[in-house]
Amino acid sequence: MTYYLDQLLNGLSLGSLYALIAVGYTVVYGIVQLINFAHGEIFMIGAFGALSTWIVLSWVTGGSTAWWNLPLMLVGGMIVAVLTAVLMERFAYRPLRNAPRLAPLITAIGISIFLQEFVRLFYGQIPGFPDAKAAIPFPQLEFFTGPAIDVGGLQVHRGNFFVMAALLICWIFLWWFVNRTATGRAMQAVSQDPDTSRLMGIDVDRIIVVAFAVGASLAAVAGLASGLRYGNIDFKMGFLAGLKAFTAAVLGGIGNINGAVVGGLTLGVVEAMATTLIPGQFGGPAWKDVWAFVLLILILVFRPQGLLGAKVVDRA
Amino acid sequence: MRNKKLLGGAVALLSASLLFAGCGSRAESSASATGGTATKTAKIGVIAPLTGDLAVMGLGIKNSVDLAIKQANESGAIPGWTLELAAEDDQATPDVGANAATKLAADDDVVAVVGTLNSGVAQPVQPILNSATIAMVSPANTSPNLTQGADLSNPTRTYPNYFRTCTTDAIQGPFAAQYLFESGIKKLAVVNDKKPYGQGLAEAVAAKFKELGGEVVADETVNKDDKDFSSVIDIIKSKSPEAVYFGTEFQLAGPMSKQMGDKGLNVPLMGGDGIYDAKFIELGGREKDLATSVGAPIETLESGKSFVESYKAAGFSDGYSAYGAYAYDAANAIIASLKQSLASASDAKSARQATIDGLSSVSFDGATGKVAFDEFGDAVTKTLTVYEVTDGAWVAKQTGELK
Amino acid sequence: MNVPTIVTPELQKRFHVPGRIAALAGGLLLAASAYLPWAYDGDALDNMAFLGGPSTLQFLGALLGLLLAVSAGMAWVEPWADRKGILPRLLMVSRRAGWTRGTKALGVGLLGFIAVVLIAIALELGGLVTIEYGGWVALAGALLGFVGSRLLTPGRAPSLEKVKTPAWLEIVSIAVLLLVALLLAAYALNQNDGGTFLSILAFIGALVAFILRVGAGGWLSAAGQRHRNVLVFSSFAVAFLFPFTQNGSDANMSIATQVLIFAATAVGLNIVVGLAGLLDLGYIAFLGAGAFTAATMSQSAFATIGWKPPFIVVMLIAGLVSATLGLIIGSPTLRVSGDYLAIVTLAFGEIFRISMSNLDGSDGPDLVHGSSGIPAIPNLNLFGFDFGKVHTVLGIPLGRFSNYFFLMLLIMALIVLVFTRLNHSRIGRGWVAIREDEKAAEAMGVNVFGLKLLAFAGGAFLAGLAGAVKAHVDQSVTPDQYIFLESAFLLAAVVLGGMGTVMGVLLGAALLKLVPEKLRFVNEYRMLIFGLLMVLMMRFRPEGMIPNQRRVLEFHSDDEELVEEIEEDLPYEFAEEH
Repeated sequence: MTYYLDQLLNGLSLGSLYALIAVGYTVVYGIVQLINFAHGEIFMIGAFGALSTWIVLSWVTGGSTAWWNLPLMLVGGMIVAVLTAVLMERFAYRPLRNAPRLAPLITAIGISIFLQEFVRLFYGQIPGFPDAKAAIPFPQLEFFTGPAIDVGGLQVHRGNFFVMAALLICWIFLWWFVNRTATGRAMQAVSQDPDTSRLMGIDVDRIIVVAFAVGASLAAVAGLASGLRYGNIDFKMGFLAGLKAFTAAVLGGIGNINGAVVGGLTLGVVEAMATTLIPGQFGGPAWKDVWAFVLLILILVFRPQGLLGAKVVDRA
Repeated sequence: MRNKKLLGGAVALLSASLLFAGCGSRAESSASATGGTATKTAKIGVIAPLTGDLAVMGLGIKNSVDLAIKQANESGAIPGWTLELAAEDDQATPDVGANAATKLAADDDVVAVVGTLNSGVAQPVQPILNSATIAMVSPANTSPNLTQGADLSNPTRTYPNYFRTCTTDAIQGPFAAQYLFESGIKKLAVVNDKKPYGQGLAEAVAAKFKELGGEVVADETVNKDDKDFSSVIDIIKSKSPEAVYFGTEFQLAGPMSKQMGDKGLNVPLMGGDGIYDAKFIELGGREKDLATSVGAPIETLESGKSFVESYKAAGFSDGYSAYGAYAYDAANAIIASLKQSLASASDAKSARQATIDGLSSVSFDGATGKVAFDEFGDAVTKTLTVYEVTDGAWVAKQTGELK
Repeated sequence: MNVPTIVTPELQKRFHVPGRIAALAGGLLLAASAYLPWAYDGDALDNMAFLGGPSTLQFLGALLGLLLAVSAGMAWVEPWADRKGILPRLLMVSRRAGWTRGTKALGVGLLGFIAVVLIAIALELGGLVTIEYGGWVALAGALLGFVGSRLLTPGRAPSLEKVKTPAWLEIVSIAVLLLVALLLAAYALNQNDGGTFLSILAFIGALVAFILRVGAGGWLSAAGQRHRNVLVFSSFAVAFLFPFTQNGSDANMSIATQVLIFAATAVGLNIVVGLAGLLDLGYIAFLGAGAFTAATMSQSAFATIGWKPPFIVVMLIAGLVSATLGLIIGSPTLRVSGDYLAIVTLAFGEIFRISMSNLDGSDGPDLVHGSSGIPAIPNLNLFGFDFGKVHTVLGIPLGRFSNYFFLMLLIMALIVLVFTRLNHSRIGRGWVAIREDEKAAEAMGVNVFGLKLLAFAGGAFLAGLAGAVKAHVDQSVTPDQYIFLESAFLLAAVVLGGMGTVMGVLLGAALLKLVPEKLRFVNEYRMLIFGLLMVLMMRFRPEGMIPNQRRVLEFHSDDEELVEEIEEDLPYEFAEEH
């Protein structure tokens, strides 16, 4: 029994990571109906931003791994991620706002490749920074990492607590932001009807930038969590994570923030369970990604609005 | 009318002068250029990933070959000849590797090639170089099929031009299994990353371990792009093994070891020469983790030490990495053969077959130990060393031969 | 492109005479500079260190310079010839040419060419100091020519296509042009130096831009339309001659064969994306399916299927297997469209790759030996013709890759035939209708679902054929060759070249495969450049290099001048189809 609880927990913590990234896909899609395929790279950039902050700090602190590094790393990661996302929106996506369907998607793939390569080639060129052509060890902060904690017989990794708590806090914050602030309500309005919102005096361009920024900051949180949890980061970490997170967003119902959270957790649990519950040759870790993608296809075909329902725009 | 003709004539004259002027001055200078050189040139090619994910290892190979060539030129190892390096990038992809091989085969100065890193790239490269009778010495291919053909129980050599200085899965895997079994481990979990190197190694370990009478309690795989191994670790943990053998490279093995520790699975992780790298420890390798590597430890070999020193002295910007020493030995094996084959040759191309023939009888002490090839082109040395992580560094634990 | 207008029409009106003089002088200066040394050392490019002896590249530069001077001078030559009554018929033709537009294009192209050459010299020798005074003179000439040409008033639009020319002249022109293209391609490909290769590309670019802007492009395309069969036939004839220009070296043939395989797959993808408008991000799986099918049925000792039919049969089976996969992947199109469909295809591509590496005997049936794949696939032997041997034809040895090149050329011909026939048929119009407006198409009685499936299955079939040959060319098939990035590359070939056109896709595929092979010095940066290129292309020229005219309309519906220009042409195109 403990074994299955262990696996459930693995799934939930992996799912929390997916959910944090998935929110970025969903918020942007809800407002501009754009699949920001490069969002996975924002997650990667967030992780590198956090690492860079720690490296810069370590020049002063001499490489301290005390817990108080965490908020600083978080802020650093967020700034870099948000900046990248906003620049990306401004220079690559905005000019294509009214372009035919294929253009933004192909642009997104281009950005994705560009960002990966950019980090790979130039991160190590900055004096004092490690070479990013292979995986880089991530600082292991005290309190947030270290030996697992025993919770009633379950071995829970401290990173798991961090990522799940982060998801919970972000979710609550997001709920407050979307429902209780003027900007949040403007976001809702734009996602309902951009033209009317414009007439009502809402600066649609600004709202779109805000959507990208919100998604990017959550991705940065995920990037930091991933670094702490797995102990290393690399330039291509964003591709698979982004793909899975997109799957999660669609699973929950794209455009729906709660859907992204539910979808992320579901996908994580499905992956963890697929490694153990599916018997025979076609089960096990080798096939878990196949099952995740099969789930994605089935959802898209039979319930394109996702688990919680979403605004599906026919953009064919 | 006349003016037009005049114009046409002027243009024709101009273009003619352009052409003639070009011919004149060029012909003179090229004659003087060739007159000055006394030695003939032969090239040793390198086919390895010089860009992309695996560039670290590919550049290590390229630099080590470069080092061997420079040393040979300085010492005048082959009188009357200058050796040159012709490095081609294969991007770790078979098509690009095939293009690189074709390009080298078309160059009449190329006598031999060091490469490739990946067994998958070696597959299309072998036949291309073979049909051009160019010797190919790989520092890193571990698939037994490359030398012994499809049916390993009835081995036949497919390509007479192919040699390698590293050992195959068929030797390294059983050696590791033997070490584990003899150190008292009876229950082993085997994991691989679904890449040819890791999978071949893990299968070889599992087979030998069972043969010795041990129990393989789990045989799992991980996705090479994954960062989260917790599901797999929980599966393994539920089978309570006494050690985990992970067939992969350090990029995955380091984090795996760390996550095993986090999960409370406090048994040693063992791997092949792909994880015998300082990066493994940086990325989370724990104390008591194990790795095998071919040959005796470099610091016990004079030739190994001198390789490390001269590599450092040469000032390459990248380290020699996992396969640098093998590549250095491969290049030196080629150079040893060239001493005979080039001595009597009028040009590099005519020495190709003799170079292949000469390689079969090469024998010297290289950076990784004794370098010589058996009837299939495999390295004869079966000496391996087990290393253990002790106080944050790899320390040689036991050197021995596969029984 | 939204290049900010620094040079206003007013400025042009005031300064067009000095501008013309500047362009003329710049061109002549450049031509003269070819006699001066450009580089400090002979190692850069093709040795430009001589005084009084231009290298091939310098000669090409001089040629462009003279062309610029002539083209700029035509505005004065024409009235002068008119006054004197010289060659009235030639003058009539000349009057229809857009000399000024050509001058402007050449001004830009020439500057680009010189910039590429100088940067290449600086990169190869290490620093700007290695550029000799001749190089700076050339740059000054190019700059002068550029600024001068910018100051010219655009002048009349070319109307060369309306010139009545005898049929023989048109046919000869087509043949000569293609032959020149062949020689240029052969010359460029034989350059092992990346800088030289790039410089030649820049030269070709400048020349083509000039020819198009002068209006010769319009005349040529009109001639091509009139003699379409001649054009197609001579294109293939030229491609067929290509191996004979290689002197028995297989180095370029290896690349050329891979370009053809890649291009064949891309043309298949073009049916799905360019014609039917269905985005497929997992297309490489079809090539992979064909390759794996052929590999498992090959004579390789590692092959897992005992049945070894002749290659023709294997190829058909490979095509059918791919087509079946295409049907499966296409079936969700009944319910899924747009971005969602793209994601479904991406997921299918990943499923294919992971499944192939799992079919290794431990995680599934041992069908393809998992990640190590099937190696040692022997060469083909069709009707007694051994593809692995060197065959000597007319004294020129043709190696292994040349043999496969000929085979791929045949398959390419078949694929192009299928593509154009489909495009110009009821089915093709049905696809375009679906692409433009699915609901309207359905209302008009188009069998939307059936046609979508046909697009997927048809495209996949072609890719499967190419895959079967690829298995034998590469001699080994592994799942790692069929990753998502390859699908992205295929899509990029289609998008960069031009969706819906065969020529565009061929060009895109050739560039994408060739440039990384030849520019090994930018190898480390090739993916970076590629990503950036995709973004810029979507931003500035989403219709591709050789666009389908209908698509240009779609992307630039706000550009009225262009719309008019194209709509003038369109009825002609449609008239051809019926």
